[in-house]
Amino acid sequence: MKFFNDIIACFTNGKYLAAMLDGLWLTFIISLGAALVGLVLGTLVALVGLSKSKHPLMMIPRAICNVYVTVVRGTPMALQLFIMAFVIFAIRGFPQWVTAIIAFGINSGAYIAENIRAGILSVDIGQTEAGRALGLTSGTTMLKIVIPQAIKNVIPSIGNEIIALIKETSIVSMIGMYDLTAAAKDVGSGQNLASYIAPMTVAAVFYLIIVYALTFVVKKIERRLRSGDKR
Amino acid sequence: MISVKNIYKNFENVSVLRGVSCEIEKGERVVIIGPSGSGKSTLLRCMNLLEEPTYGEVWLDGKLVTDPDPYLHPDAIRASKTYASLIADGLTDDEAIKKIKKEDLLQKREGKQMKAVLDKIVAEHHLDINIARRKMGMVFQQFNLFNNLTVMENLTLAPVHLGLKTKEEAIETATALLHRIGLYDKKDEYPSRLSGGQKQRIAIIRALAMNPDAILFDEPTSALDPEMVGEVLDLIRELANEGMTMVIVTHEMGFAHEVGTRILFVDEGHIKEEAPPDEFFKNPKDVRLKEFLSKVL
Ligand SMILES: Nc1ncnc2c1ncn2[C@@H]1O[C@H](COP(=O)(O)OP(=O)(O)OP(=O)(O)O)[C@@H](O)[C@H]1O
Ligand SMILES: [Mg+2]
Repeated sequence: MKFFNDIIACFTNGKYLAAMLDGLWLTFIISLGAALVGLVLGTLVALVGLSKSKHPLMMIPRAICNVYVTVVRGTPMALQLFIMAFVIFAIRGFPQWVTAIIAFGINSGAYIAENIRAGILSVDIGQTEAGRALGLTSGTTMLKIVIPQAIKNVIPSIGNEIIALIKETSIVSMIGMYDLTAAAKDVGSGQNLASYIAPMTVAAVFYLIIVYALTFVVKKIERRLRSGDKR
Repeated sequence: MISVKNIYKNFENVSVLRGVSCEIEKGERVVIIGPSGSGKSTLLRCMNLLEEPTYGEVWLDGKLVTDPDPYLHPDAIRASKTYASLIADGLTDDEAIKKIKKEDLLQKREGKQMKAVLDKIVAEHHLDINIARRKMGMVFQQFNLFNNLTVMENLTLAPVHLGLKTKEEAIETATALLHRIGLYDKKDEYPSRLSGGQKQRIAIIRALAMNPDAILFDEPTSALDPEMVGEVLDLIRELANEGMTMVIVTHEMGFAHEVGTRILFVDEGHIKEEAPPDEFFKNPKDVRLKEFLSKVL
């Protein structure tokens, strides 16, 4: 019975509730911020990576993008977060939540870039050729023809990437931030409930609700896009 | 009108075109035939630079659309460092130029002088490829209608976006063209809802909507079910009768004979024979062409 009482306490005890909501809020803010940074960065990196220009001014950014994707995808997220927190932004008074958004945004940007790249490449090359043969520039062809078709292919995988991101933000507790996971640990600790099971369950349900809601939205968008061209 | 000068095209290490030159005059209907893999599509795609030639130049109405090829300009060769060193070695002007061409001796860095000569050619003759392409429509084997756009949007996107027509004018043109091919009722459909023959006819009027001076066709009927070939050939025939300049790659020999004003036989990266249709089909000279015709006729 202690379990149910603890669950109720998580929602009725003002101190515990405030702790859980604070944690939830931080998780939400970091996820949202990082997703936005990741989307912008990912799109940019994908487009630079796909450009075929032989101009030296394009070669350098392309090389940087390659290195970025390789390094980010080849090293652990926790390590990237530590480097951001303890090396790059180890500045007294620098807000930790900004550090976290940057670290996670840079991380998911690399994965999202790969998804967008694959989505653009999955659009038949004939579509691009038809656009160029009409005298449209590569930019216009990309914008009006290729990207609208790529988006349909890319929305589901970007949705998955963002879901993975939300769950991964739980490691910010490792740099001492008070997110949903850290809050659950705190509420369950010795000086509070002295039992982890109830607050951990509540946290799990919160994560599930966020993930489920996001999945729902992604499905909705997907269906809207598909009905958009009546196929 | 379209002038192809000594084009070479290599893909990685495969050389697909090995020195092709041809002139397409206004009002001509040039048909390109040849065995599979001989480089017909590559030649056609070099004309509007969907493929960039490795060497050689493409001109449209006296304007250069590729980069200038120094090998085609003796003045440029004479300005190169390589030429200077050959002359210093005692070769005559003629010998030096021949040797450089034959042995492909020009390097990326041939000094400021050669670059100056080439820059001058660009300054005098260059035409931006995106402008050139407006004048050369292209029709693909796989139709390549824009899948995310309706038929009407397919027809109006480029003319409106490039500022050639207002939206109203573009819709008016497209409407007339759709009526002409009897597909006005499909104007709001997406390409996935059309038959192959309908798609290809719309692809053809999409090219026409740009008011091009010439249209390039790459096997326009090869991806069609047999019962739809006729409707597409009929439309092309109509354009031919109206005097549209065309370059057509096809495997339809009867159609080539009927519509073409000149036939080119491409084989192993060369134009092996070129003649008016009657002579081409009744009196072929090249051995490979005789062999080819005996197989396909
Ligand atoms: N993008 C490419 N990369 C590498 N090789 C290519 C490419 N495009 C064409 N080729 C090769 O170049 C050769 C000529 O191709 P092309 O498409 O011009 O032939 P074709 O005469 O049009 O043949 P078909 O009648 O089958 O259409 C072929 O061997 C082909 O494999
Ligand atoms: Mg071909």
